[in-house]
Amino acid sequence: MNQSLRFLIVILPILVLVFFAKVLLVDEDIKFSNFESKNFPSFELNDLNGDPVNTESLDGIKLINVWASWCITCLVEHPFLTQLAEKNIQIIGLNYKDSDSKANAWLQRHGNPYLFSIYDPRGDLAFDLGVTGAPESYLIVNNQVVGHIQGELNQTKWETIFLPLITKAKQGS
Amino acid sequence: MIGEIAHFLSLSAVLLLSLVLIFNLAFFFTKIHPNQLILSMRLFNQACWLVFISFGIYVYLAISDDFSIAYIASHSNSQLPIFYKVTSIWSAHEGSMFLWIVFLTAWSILFINSLDKSHPLKKLTLLMLSVIILGFLLFLLLTSNPFERIMPFGALEGADINPVLQDPALAIHPPMLYLGYVGFVISFSFITAYLLNGDFELKWEQDIRNWSFVAWIFLTIGITLGSWWAYYELGWGGYWFWDPVENVALMPWLAATAFMHSLFAASKSNVLKTWTMFLGILIFALSLFGAFIVRSGIIDSVHSFANDPERGLYLLSFSGLITLLALTIFAYRLPALNSSKLVVTGSKESFLSMNNILMITSIFSIFLGVTYPLIIESISGEKVSIGPPYYNTIFAPLILIAAAFIMISVDALWQRSMPLKALLITIFAPTMLSLLSLYLIWQVTNIFSILAYIGIFSGSLILCSYLTRTINNFFNKKFINKGSAIAHIGLGLLFFAVSMNSILSYEKNLNLAPGQSISINDSVREFSFNDIRVFKASNHDVISAQVSLLQDGREISLNPQKRKYATRGQITSESAIHASVLKDTYLTIGDQLDNGTWTFSLKINYFIKWIWFSAALMVLGMLLTIFKKKAS
Repeated sequence: MNQSLRFLIVILPILVLVFFAKVLLVDEDIKFSNFESKNFPSFELNDLNGDPVNTESLDGIKLINVWASWCITCLVEHPFLTQLAEKNIQIIGLNYKDSDSKANAWLQRHGNPYLFSIYDPRGDLAFDLGVTGAPESYLIVNNQVVGHIQGELNQTKWETIFLPLITKAKQGS
Repeated sequence: MIGEIAHFLSLSAVLLLSLVLIFNLAFFFTKIHPNQLILSMRLFNQACWLVFISFGIYVYLAISDDFSIAYIASHSNSQLPIFYKVTSIWSAHEGSMFLWIVFLTAWSILFINSLDKSHPLKKLTLLMLSVIILGFLLFLLLTSNPFERIMPFGALEGADINPVLQDPALAIHPPMLYLGYVGFVISFSFITAYLLNGDFELKWEQDIRNWSFVAWIFLTIGITLGSWWAYYELGWGGYWFWDPVENVALMPWLAATAFMHSLFAASKSNVLKTWTMFLGILIFALSLFGAFIVRSGIIDSVHSFANDPERGLYLLSFSGLITLLALTIFAYRLPALNSSKLVVTGSKESFLSMNNILMITSIFSIFLGVTYPLIIESISGEKVSIGPPYYNTIFAPLILIAAAFIMISVDALWQRSMPLKALLITIFAPTMLSLLSLYLIWQVTNIFSILAYIGIFSGSLILCSYLTRTINNFFNKKFINKGSAIAHIGLGLLFFAVSMNSILSYEKNLNLAPGQSISINDSVREFSFNDIRVFKASNHDVISAQVSLLQDGREISLNPQKRKYATRGQITSESAIHASVLKDTYLTIGDQLDNGTWTFSLKINYFIKWIWFSAALMVLGMLLTIFKKKAS
């Protein structure tokens, strides 16, 4: 008993250390390098004001941001989204597994960078889209999903992943 | 030029500390020289002073707007009041790390000089402290140099401190928190030195007792200030969010609380010594873990500093190294440490050990809550969020059991078992009173929530047992430990206030045009949006709403604001708060809508001030404990 306890006292912290080292060292870029574009799933939902929205609302170049009032990281990336909105980037929210009253209250308190937010309380559209959690961001060009970022969208990720895709899309059109 | 001097002084401190290590390691293999300790102490003290002077110069550079220094240029501004020029130093990673190290050095130099020259552990403690300070100084200078210049020309003007950080509470929140975090370097180094030394007849508890108590006070104040600041400045409307960074501050706090309790048992009845040592090591390890989480950018949080894997790796390796070192020595010495003395069932220390187990359980639960999303992500690539429901569900039962043990231990005795009859007498009155208060609350509020009721019941158990005990002792003229009573009443009040807050508080979202007024409920009979004004302040534009409320028969005037800061273009929301004994009326203004109306968020927060007050009681109780011991 004593022997194994002594062993555990040393081994457990080592495991924790190895785990965190692994998390730190995983190269994030690998996740984004091989993204295949696909059609945006068709949907019939309401926005947070109760007006109906569907696939036709997503023409042109749009940034879809999956968010929820319960999501702390969404609050962290919020100022950056606000900056993007001020630069006339069209952002559409996908309010994910949330209640409309809480979501609206959240937007009131922190400001609303979204053109509108699709209200998806059960996560139907999010499921079709392949959302794993909040926040996540998708880049849509003419109803085609061309880029995807999991977690906080920040300046670096924006410049390295989405901005080149937008430039490419603009040249193509 | 002055910047280079400060940089040079820090580098010299690195050199002196390395010399301390080299000397001691060299002498380790030869025979001990009589002057070895004197020499090491001199070098160590000088190194510490170099760090202080270097930081002093850095403060001067910040005050005198030296924007050729990259860090100052990007976090300060010539328009700032001097107070915020100084606090801007700890508004981001490099400067706050510098402050962290200054505090580490300050604790170390005070402690090591308080030890008697002939203290058998002095040399080894000095060695441990030198290693730790050296490691962090190197971290600062190699990966996060605050002295870095903008070459070839400096900036003309600074980029300004983040406006949400321009607040007195924030100015003192990080220093208090850091003082608490790094204060436990003393228990860590001293216990490690004790284990290395190998003479287990030596008494060690008294030497670090008060040091750890003072560090605990700083940690408590730091956490409370942070919570307070988030409540009234960030406009979050709540006091605790189970944010990863709050969690990594709470873990060392829980470990420190457990440590203090078992330190009592260890010094009163010679039990739990091994366990106490383990906790002493754990607190600082958890503090280091906190520093790693915040500064590596591994977890997204409102608190996280800029993301830099290199820093994360350095911190992880160095923190891991010294923690592993301490734990390996601990594991190696474990067989020799095991005392044959067992805890008597039903004695005070037995209940205390039970609560120690509960505190470790909470630490583990929080640790799991913080790391679980990372574990899942690295296994399946999925992102999950762990939020308040997880913590509330886990903490409610833990709190209830802890409260029950606290209640019993009030009357329990050291080293002696408690007779069943005495136990029943002890628990009878508080349990009945608590059930009664639950019933009354249910009758008055008509709200039922199982988690909140567990919390209220636990809080009242503690409150009632200490109150009955105090009254009893007053009439029987018996001794009561004032410090402990006040601190535990604070804890009971905290459980009570948090639970009451969760069931009573509510939020309303409103949409009004200037001049409009509406009725909300029986309490807030009238909400009038009188006017909106726009004006300029020194470094920001202000939109200020004039709102008057008719609440509980009284007229209240509130002016929530939105500010736009000139330098960064950042918009902040300044909530207006009207505070009364039972509740806070908390009003935030949102955006203007297309039809010209403005959105408001009105929050009625019950018992929120009681939460800060209970933290103050805990600190007061701790202070009494420290001073009582000094007097005797």
